[in-house]
Formats: sequence, structure tokens, C-alpha cells
Amino acid sequence: MRNNYTLTYILFVVAQMILCNFFHFTPYVTLTLLPMLVFFIPVSVGTTAAMLIAFATGLAVDFFAEGLLGINALSLVPVAFLRRPLIEMTCGQEPFEQNENISLKKYGFGRISMALILEIAVFLTIYILAECAGTRPLWFIGARLGLSVLASYLVSILFVNLLTYDDRR
Amino acid sequence: MPKERSASARIFSTAVFILLEIASLLMLNNNNTLQRLWLSRVSHAFMAKTWGACQGVAGYFMLRKQNDELALENEALRNLLRDYGVKAAAADSSFAPYTPGDGFKYIPAKIIKSGTSNQHNYLILDKGSDDGIKENSGIVTGKGVIGIVDAVSRHYSYAISFLNAEVNISARMGTSGAVGPLSWDGISTDGAVMREVPLQFRFEPGDTVYTSGYSAIFPPDIPLGVAGEAKVINGATNEVKVRLFQGQSALKYVTIVENIRAEEIRAIEGSPDIQKP
Repeated sequence: MRNNYTLTYILFVVAQMILCNFFHFTPYVTLTLLPMLVFFIPVSVGTTAAMLIAFATGLAVDFFAEGLLGINALSLVPVAFLRRPLIEMTCGQEPFEQNENISLKKYGFGRISMALILEIAVFLTIYILAECAGTRPLWFIGARLGLSVLASYLVSILFVNLLTYDDRR
Repeated sequence: MPKERSASARIFSTAVFILLEIASLLMLNNNNTLQRLWLSRVSHAFMAKTWGACQGVAGYFMLRKQNDELALENEALRNLLRDYGVKAAAADSSFAPYTPGDGFKYIPAKIIKSGTSNQHNYLILDKGSDDGIKENSGIVTGKGVIGIVDAVSRHYSYAISFLNAEVNISARMGTSGAVGPLSWDGISTDGAVMREVPLQFRFEPGDTVYTSGYSAIFPPDIPLGVAGEAKVINGATNEVKVRLFQGQSALKYVTIVENIRAEEIRAIEGSPDIQKP
């Protein structure tokens, strides 16, 4: 199961690189799959290890995609840092007590959606603020953040069942 | 079994989080000009706020020292003003400067102990005979009379507060009005009564009461308070309530005034060679 997840994870990182390089629809929308990937890292992986994975993933995307070196790493590490509190908030202690991965089938669409939206919002807030670097007005940042969270959530929720073993069965 | 996170694990993961974020910020800072300028601006703003707050806290704890310095500076300025007034008056007879302390020596002092809750209140000041303080010197502020020095040791002075049933000072209603003794009303720390105001002198509630300058202790024209209600006593004089400008409950800094010609005045008052009319 772990090997399956690793392979899927790598494929999604490559997909994110392709998204970053070739899919620029509008300046108002930034599509990202990275918060979803970090959120669905198996619960047996601790916070520190998850942060290191997130840092490496962010750096890889920064390096191979058209972007600012450090920006994805900067935005993705907080997502990993907040992963456990968010899981506890939306799904309770059960995943950690049972050592059981998160799945749509078990925890439902609503809870997973809420957790995903929060993770994506954390990532994109840092990403957009760092990318705009104080050069854009607040309304633009707000509009871009809102549209990007919505678009990234819709794309992420489509692929959630590919990341969790229970949902694939 | 539930996996409880220990405090040390949380601290460790927080430390790793901070390290990774710093590493990311350094990369962002070193590789992108726009982000470098932005981070520099943000960090400068943060530093300015932090230093501003630190300065505010330090300033708060420095207030006592600054108050002491300001009290000394005020005194030096008062002395300069007094000297200027005396010199200007000597040079030009038509010049009429404000010379409240002519003939008086002013020494700033700090109250180190005081009481306001008895009928016989007292003060202890941090200046004594080593600082040139003498008995029967007055204690004033810019807003009133505080008391009279009663006893002096080398480093401290014991003073009878104006808030004392036995203390009377000579006061004047307005700049050229009636003169009468002013004493504490024995009730509030900013209440006083001016007695023996002749009926022929007119005044209104709200008129300012000053020191008269008729005593050898206090200089003239120190504002003391404002007149309030009056009542006629025995059909002969008015008794006027006065609200003092200077409350004594939270007073810290005062000025001791010494009439440098007090001895001469007392000597001439008691001299048998002077023919009295």
C-alpha cells in the first residue's frame, strides 16, 4: 500500500509540474494539487517526516517548473505542519488511534472537503502573498485566492479516490 | 492504541517547521529580486515595530529618572527666569517682568513619605541641611502651597502639610483683593477655607486665590485655588470656600522656597530701636 501511494504521489508531483509549466489560463487562478498530496500522506507518517516530504516536494516543483525557487516549499511545509490538527479537527482521533488512512468512503465527502479546502487555503494564501510580493492590490489578491481555492478544490476532489487505498477498492 | 504526541515531539516538529520555513525564505530571498525587496520591506517594518515596542517599554521604566531630570531642569529654568527678571528690572525701570520669587531661593525636592488621611498630616522630603534646607521654609508647586518645613536633618526634612488643622497661610482674593488666612477645610484633600474676608471687598465664585506675599515664608502670587460659596460670619466678615488647584494625594515633586531675607525681616520686626507709629 505504501509503495502504491509513493508511486501515485510521484505521478501527481509530475502532474503538478506539468500544470505549472503549461496550464496558465488566467492570472486569477493558480491550480495546485500539492496540498491534497500532503494531506493524504499516510497517518503513520509523523508530522516531522511529512514536513520534510513536503519541503522536498515543494523544492522539486520549484526546480522543475517555471516558478520562484522556494515558493512551493515555503507554502507546502505549513500544510504538512497543520495536517494532523486538521485531521483531528475534521475526522477526530480515530485515524490515529486505528492507524487508519483517511478515505472519502469512511469519513464522508463533507469532512474531507472541509479539510481539503482549509489545506488548500493555507497553501494558496502563502503562495499568492509571496508571489505578489506586495505589488498587487488587496482586491486582486482576494479574488485570486478565492478563485484559486475553488478551482484547486474541484480538481483535487476529482482525484482524491486515486490517493486512498480504501476508495480505490 | 492511541498515539499521544509528547511535548518534546511537538517542540521538535515546531523547530523543524521553523527551520524549513527559514530555508525556503532564504531561497526565495536569494533567487528573486522582487521577493528580496518585499522580504526586506516586511522585515524592516517588523523590526521597526519590535524596536518601537521595546523602546516604549524601556521609556516607561525610564519615566522616574526622566521626571527627576525634568524637575531639576524646571528649577534651573525658574532660577534663570528669576535672574532675568531682576536684571531687566534693574536696567529698565519701565520694565515690569513676572518676578514671583524675588528674594527667595528655590530648591527642588521629592516627597518620600506623606499622609493625607489624618487631621495632622505631614511630609518627609529627600532634602536636608546638607542641601541648604532650613526650618520654616515653604513648600510649593506651580499650583499651590504644600506645607512648611518644621525640622531638618542632614539628608531629610520633616514638614507640616497644608492639610493640617493648625496651618494658616496668608492668601489674597484675586490679584488686588482682600487678604485673609487660608486653611484646610479638614474634609477633602483639595478643599480649603479663606476666613476674615472683609465684607466691603467684592468677589465672585470662580475668582482665583493667590498667596499674598505678606508672610516671610511664601512668595506672592502663587495661584492656590478658586473661590466658591461664601457665608457671612457674625455679620462682620466673609468665610469663603476655596477649591485648591493642587491635590496632595498623588504629589511627588515639590519645590522648597526659602526667603533669603527672612532673618532680616524677623530681626527688624523684633528690634526695639525701631520707632513704631
